[in-house]
Amino acid sequence: MEGWDPNTKSTLTQIPLLTTKAGPRDGAAWTQRLKEEYKALIAYTQMNKSNDNDWFRISACNPEGTRWTGKCWYVHNLLKYEFDLQFDIPVTYPSTAPEIELPQLDGKTQKMYRGGKICLTVHFKPLWAKNWFSLNHVMKHIAIVITYYALCPRFGIAHALCLGLAPWLAAEVPVLVDSGMIKHKDDVSSSSES
Amino acid sequence: MDDELLELQRQFESAQQAKSSIRLSERNVVELVQKLHELHIIDFDLLHTVSGKEYITPEQLRNEIVTEVKKLGRVSLIDLADTTSVDLYHVEKQAEQVVSGDPELMLIQGEIISQSYWDIVAEEVNERLQECSQLALAELAAQLQVGSELVASMLEPRLGSLVKGRLEGGQLYTPAYVARVRAMVRGAARGITVPTNLSALWSTLQKLLQEMDGATGVAVEGSFFQSLFNGVVKEGEVLGSLRAGAHWTPSVFAIAQKECVDSFFSQNSFISYEAVNKLGISQPVQFLQSRYPEGTPLVTVFVHPSMIEMLDSTTEDAVERGSWIDSLSVLPPSFGLQDASKILSLCPSVQSALKANKVLILGEVYVFSNTFVKDVYDRLEKEMEAFSFLGSSGIMPSDDSSRSTESNETSGESGHKNAVEKGSKKKKGKSSGNAKSAAAESGTDDQDYIPTKSKKNQRRGKDTSSLQVSDTKSGAKKDLVKVQESNLNVPSEEWVMQKIMMLNPDFEEQGIDDPQTILQPLANHMRPMLISRLKERRKALFTENAERMKRLHDNLQKRLDECFLNMQLYEKALDLFEDDQSTSVILHRHLLRTTAAAIVDTLFLNLDMHNKLKNGIEVEESKHSESVSLSSGERTALAKSFPGSLSKKALDVLESLEGKQVETFTSAFREIAEESGLPLKKLDKKLERTLLHSYRKDLTSQVSTESDPISLLPKVVSLLYIQVYNKALQAPGRAISVAVSRLKDKLDDSAYRILTDYQSATVTLLALMSAASGDEQDCSSDRILSKRELLENLMPALKGVVLGTSQS
Repeated sequence: MEGWDPNTKSTLTQIPLLTTKAGPRDGAAWTQRLKEEYKALIAYTQMNKSNDNDWFRISACNPEGTRWTGKCWYVHNLLKYEFDLQFDIPVTYPSTAPEIELPQLDGKTQKMYRGGKICLTVHFKPLWAKNWFSLNHVMKHIAIVITYYALCPRFGIAHALCLGLAPWLAAEVPVLVDSGMIKHKDDVSSSSES
Repeated sequence: MDDELLELQRQFESAQQAKSSIRLSERNVVELVQKLHELHIIDFDLLHTVSGKEYITPEQLRNEIVTEVKKLGRVSLIDLADTTSVDLYHVEKQAEQVVSGDPELMLIQGEIISQSYWDIVAEEVNERLQECSQLALAELAAQLQVGSELVASMLEPRLGSLVKGRLEGGQLYTPAYVARVRAMVRGAARGITVPTNLSALWSTLQKLLQEMDGATGVAVEGSFFQSLFNGVVKEGEVLGSLRAGAHWTPSVFAIAQKECVDSFFSQNSFISYEAVNKLGISQPVQFLQSRYPEGTPLVTVFVHPSMIEMLDSTTEDAVERGSWIDSLSVLPPSFGLQDASKILSLCPSVQSALKANKVLILGEVYVFSNTFVKDVYDRLEKEMEAFSFLGSSGIMPSDDSSRSTESNETSGESGHKNAVEKGSKKKKGKSSGNAKSAAAESGTDDQDYIPTKSKKNQRRGKDTSSLQVSDTKSGAKKDLVKVQESNLNVPSEEWVMQKIMMLNPDFEEQGIDDPQTILQPLANHMRPMLISRLKERRKALFTENAERMKRLHDNLQKRLDECFLNMQLYEKALDLFEDDQSTSVILHRHLLRTTAAAIVDTLFLNLDMHNKLKNGIEVEESKHSESVSLSSGERTALAKSFPGSLSKKALDVLESLEGKQVETFTSAFREIAEESGLPLKKLDKKLERTLLHSYRKDLTSQVSTESDPISLLPKVVSLLYIQVYNKALQAPGRAISVAVSRLKDKLDDSAYRILTDYQSATVTLLALMSAASGDEQDCSSDRILSKRELLENLMPALKGVVLGTSQS
């Protein structure tokens, strides 16, 4: 886990770990798992709120809790950039990580990964930090694969957001904004008006 | 669906809906503050910490600084920058403001120090000082890590209040310690009785202190002693005077010094500077003058007026008596020459006498009255005359030799100059000649002086050369004069001194160890006068003599010519007896003994006189008017007195005179005559005839007037020889008979008989006369008488023979 920035690390440790290892097909066990997922999310959300670091809203779209949608945002230069967020819980969950998608950003950046194909291990951390330009994978959807899930099924959705999406946004949004790939909604509206 | 799950869903929903607590990021805050500045809502300077996470107002920073300083008393700005975590630059700026606003604080070398801190330090120092009794400021400064001057300046106002002690030369002392050292200084100062350099004293005291304190003793500086000492002196605890800050003269010493000088001066009425110096007074003249304004400073002594008076009266007395005085003998022995001469110049009587030209100061210290000098001079002059006679015989020939080689030199002055040049070359020979001639002059009272004289003269020549070196100004001229003097046969200094001594034996009686010291200046004074007088006289004599010399020369020439011609005449007659050896020898000898000797004597005496005249020495003419015959010893002496080649030739002549050959003599004589400028005439026929004629006439008249029967015979024989052989024969008695027998063929019988009879009668008469010397006067005298009568009877006959033939 070393290699993550200190903030992410401290946050991650504060998110409660999950105890039940079960996928959507496991019935009662999955329910139990879902409860734990909720508890972790609540803790993470409360943590974010108390730190004035609230950055996403998600909710389950179906009663089984296998598909989630919501929004995430990032503040850059005093402007808030908001994106839609969606992902499904894979059948092999929790051994397989969920693929988090930002459909609005589809095609706007090459620095996206096809789900399941690329490992997001600690070995790739330097690539996360600096060297993503060297990665030539063209991705339709944002897919953050965390092999920790395979190794460590005690990580849940909250962990995936904290470890995957949050750093990605922090790293990628300023670049996208600067390169003009994305525009603030006020600007968009103003430009569209004009 | 599980209730619990629903519940959780709801909870999550509400958690997401809950208002998140507002958190401003650092960035936002910074931006906010910037905005506030821009909007002038914050209108004062705002500082930020080094970390950049905090803002701080200057007032707060100042407050923090003040509290920090109050807490510690002394804070360095760097430490402040650390504790406030504000940049050092701002800390410095604010610290300056703080310090300037608070008189209790000071900013020194990057540190803020409060007065209270110094109070604390002072208390600490005091504690330590009380323990150690002395502390070095440097040590304190090192401990406090500040400059020692700062420590001193901070401690000074607290001395006496917080710090019970005394600061001296970078050291702190307790009063007790100071008192102790002060007591030491006082003791040492009181113990000193002679002038002392205080720093030396301090160093010994320092050593003493260190010994007492052992290893802990701090070196006490001399300035500490000095200030203590000054205090002690000021309070009058020790008496004395301090010179140049370090030289201490105790009053005890000064008093003793003054008393010593006083007592000596009052007792002796003089004191030498050396003595005063020994007493430790470095500038004796000023000291004595200020102390005894009536006294007079001389070169090495200081005298009371009474001393001058004393000398004055003595000299006055001496001058009045017409005597002399050695002022040194009157003055105390410590007086030097220069002192004596100076004090003499101060004597009023001497001054007045000098003005009146009544007194003479020679050799700086000898005072002679003019009458005395005159007296001595007169007597010396008389001596000089005697001297000039003596000198003439000795020196004259030497001068003459140089003259004769030079020849044609008639002018006296130039002649002397030449003599100078020549004489220097011939000095050696001349001096020996002098000595010998002087030896010949035995019997005179100055004989012991003359032999030394030539040497002395030579030595003086050297003296003059050395004198020339020292006195280059008129050196060459002087030298010439000196050499001239020495050649002029002037009296030397020694001679003058000797004479003065002889004339004034009281010089020795006065008990002067070395009469030279007084005689030398006197002689020096008189000698030039004597010499000039001598020269004058000599010059006068010289002009007078020139004429006489000429006359003498002419006379001599005439006389020599005459005599020498005669001799040549007589020599011719000797040819007759060539065949008879014995007679010839007798005749030769006779001629040499009589005629030749007379000629030589005349020549020698005249030459001698000529020399004397030339040297300007008076010669009595009368002595030479009658011819003097000299003994052979006298002749050689004279011959040797002639200089150089002349002397040699003269000796040759004398040798030939002793010989048997007239020819050798004539040649030798001719040489010497030519050498002395007297060319001799040669006998020619005409001259011979006239001479013979006059001789014959002379002889004839002699024969006719002759009354003595004995002396008649040789004259008759001579006359006969002239008549017969036309030759002038000079025959001694022994040769008469032979001469007579030679006439036998030439005379007629009767005449010859008369001659032989007369001759035999004369011989018998002479034999009788020589026999009759004793008691038988009676008979022998009778017989002599009878024989004489017989001869007298025969005389007319003999005369007749000669005169008759002459008439025929």
